[in-house]
Amino acid sequence: MLICENLSFSIDGHKLFSNIDFKIKKEKDLLITGPSGIGKTTLLSVLCGLQIPTEGSIRYNDISLYSLSENKIDEFRGKQLGIVFQSFNLINTFTIKQNLQIANTAEGSRDTDNLYDLLERVGLADKSHIKVSNLSIGEKQRVAVARAFIGQPKWIFCDEPTSSLDDKNTDIITNLIKEESLRHKASLILITHDKRVQSILNFNEILRLGEEL
Amino acid sequence: MILGVTIITLSVLVNQITKNTFTKNNPNLDVVVGAKGSPLQLVLSSIHHIDIPTGNISYKNAKKIMKHPAIKFGVPISLGDNFQNYRIVGTDKKFLKLYDAELEIGSMWEKPMQSVIGSNVANFTKLKIDKFFVGSHGLIDTGDIHSEQPYKVVGILKKTGTILDNLIITSLDSVWNLHSNQNDILKNSDSLEVTALLLKYKNKTSVFSFPRLINKNTSMQAASPNLEISKLFKLTGGAHKIINYLSIIIVSLSFAGILFTLLNNINERKYDLAILRTLGFTRERIFSIILIEGMTISILGSFIGLILGGIVYKCIEFFSLLGRNIVTGQLDFIYEILTIWFVILIISFLTCLIPCIKVYKQNIRNTLLNS
Repeated sequence: MLICENLSFSIDGHKLFSNIDFKIKKEKDLLITGPSGIGKTTLLSVLCGLQIPTEGSIRYNDISLYSLSENKIDEFRGKQLGIVFQSFNLINTFTIKQNLQIANTAEGSRDTDNLYDLLERVGLADKSHIKVSNLSIGEKQRVAVARAFIGQPKWIFCDEPTSSLDDKNTDIITNLIKEESLRHKASLILITHDKRVQSILNFNEILRLGEEL
Repeated sequence: MILGVTIITLSVLVNQITKNTFTKNNPNLDVVVGAKGSPLQLVLSSIHHIDIPTGNISYKNAKKIMKHPAIKFGVPISLGDNFQNYRIVGTDKKFLKLYDAELEIGSMWEKPMQSVIGSNVANFTKLKIDKFFVGSHGLIDTGDIHSEQPYKVVGILKKTGTILDNLIITSLDSVWNLHSNQNDILKNSDSLEVTALLLKYKNKTSVFSFPRLINKNTSMQAASPNLEISKLFKLTGGAHKIINYLSIIIVSLSFAGILFTLLNNINERKYDLAILRTLGFTRERIFSIILIEGMTISILGSFIGLILGGIVYKCIEFFSLLGRNIVTGQLDFIYEILTIWFVILIISFLTCLIPCIKVYKQNIRNTLLNS
């Protein structure tokens, strides 16, 4: 279970969001929505241990995330969390395969069988040798999704995964994320203000930030 | 890095090996007497066999000097010929005792034109017992040969690790036979000459008085081998220092090169390194990746430099005539080279820490946002 209590975040004294509370049970999903600039991406960073909240706590089952040391947070993120960033955050000079391999290494696994399996499912097995810089946006997004599922993470975070995609690719990526999180029995926390995504996915919980609260 | 370490290695090898060679080649001789000229040239030509002699002195005078009360014993030598650039030294059997030489095979010379050869001469010229060879006039192979009177090899010496390994030793008579008219020798032994006289004092009190006596009162000169070689090292020391400073500057530049390369690399890859953190790489892990990267450049660069320095040195030794008189098989320099290598690696490590600390302090969230 993921429990967020009284979560607040300020930048230079300006409160971006405050007093956020929610719970997500195992294998349940959460949609976080709200207008641009409301702090959805920052919230994702806080939930993933990339930015320390000003106040509040985050607990993954028995683990209080920010009571861990920075190294332990990094290790926890590598083993338990899968993240699909809005800007993909892929290493452009690496091939598709290398991007997945480095994630596999970070997670501590040497088994590469699941890499090909994941690439097969996202439809990029035949392009594994191509450098990420030579891929289309849709393909990059699929690589980012495949990478997020390496190491059987229990929590998948997706930040605006379809913001730069057309309708066709939005359908493909959204369904892919849903299918993979179901297959891996992972909880999905998806941030978007894209109505298309909301209509495709059937979320258990919805957290509305900003004026929609 | 490669260039700097190559120069340092070469400089250390040349300095150490030449010093060792000069030390080992001198069998504790106190003084050398020869024709007037440069005292250093006299020492180099008669003990280290790397220069041309200053001239000849009368054998009659040489015998008188050997009987001087200050002299414990003396060994006359006569130079002038070579075989395949290995010098032929006419002398008496005491010469071999100076180097504690022993025969590997064969016997000592008993007649003129018989010779014993050093182990390196045997190895490189393939001369064997009972084989004949013809000396070439001069101290380097000019092709001007004494074909009328060949030498016969009667003995091969055991390796001594000194210049003796590179010499062909024969009697004084052999050299006189080749260079003088036989009748002159029989009629007038006063006309016989030798190149130099290698001497040991009875006691060290003669160190100052004896050379003064020779230099002032005769047409010959007396030179102290130790004094002349230390003068030589003083002369070359300046150049050696310049080479060392130059190599230190080059290595320092290579440290700066490694530092800026790593800083530039991490600056270009800070986004990639931040991605690695999001994937679960800890700060320590990324710190060690950068450190390993920098140290790999240093270790490989310095190791290649060491090997290249060694190869260049061996080439100089192999292809130069001077190199032939270098005593090989010395390992004394290894410690100095390993110390230099160790110091280079320590400085490299400290240099690499700078970019590593920069990466360690990286804020991943800000880096990803700024990218």
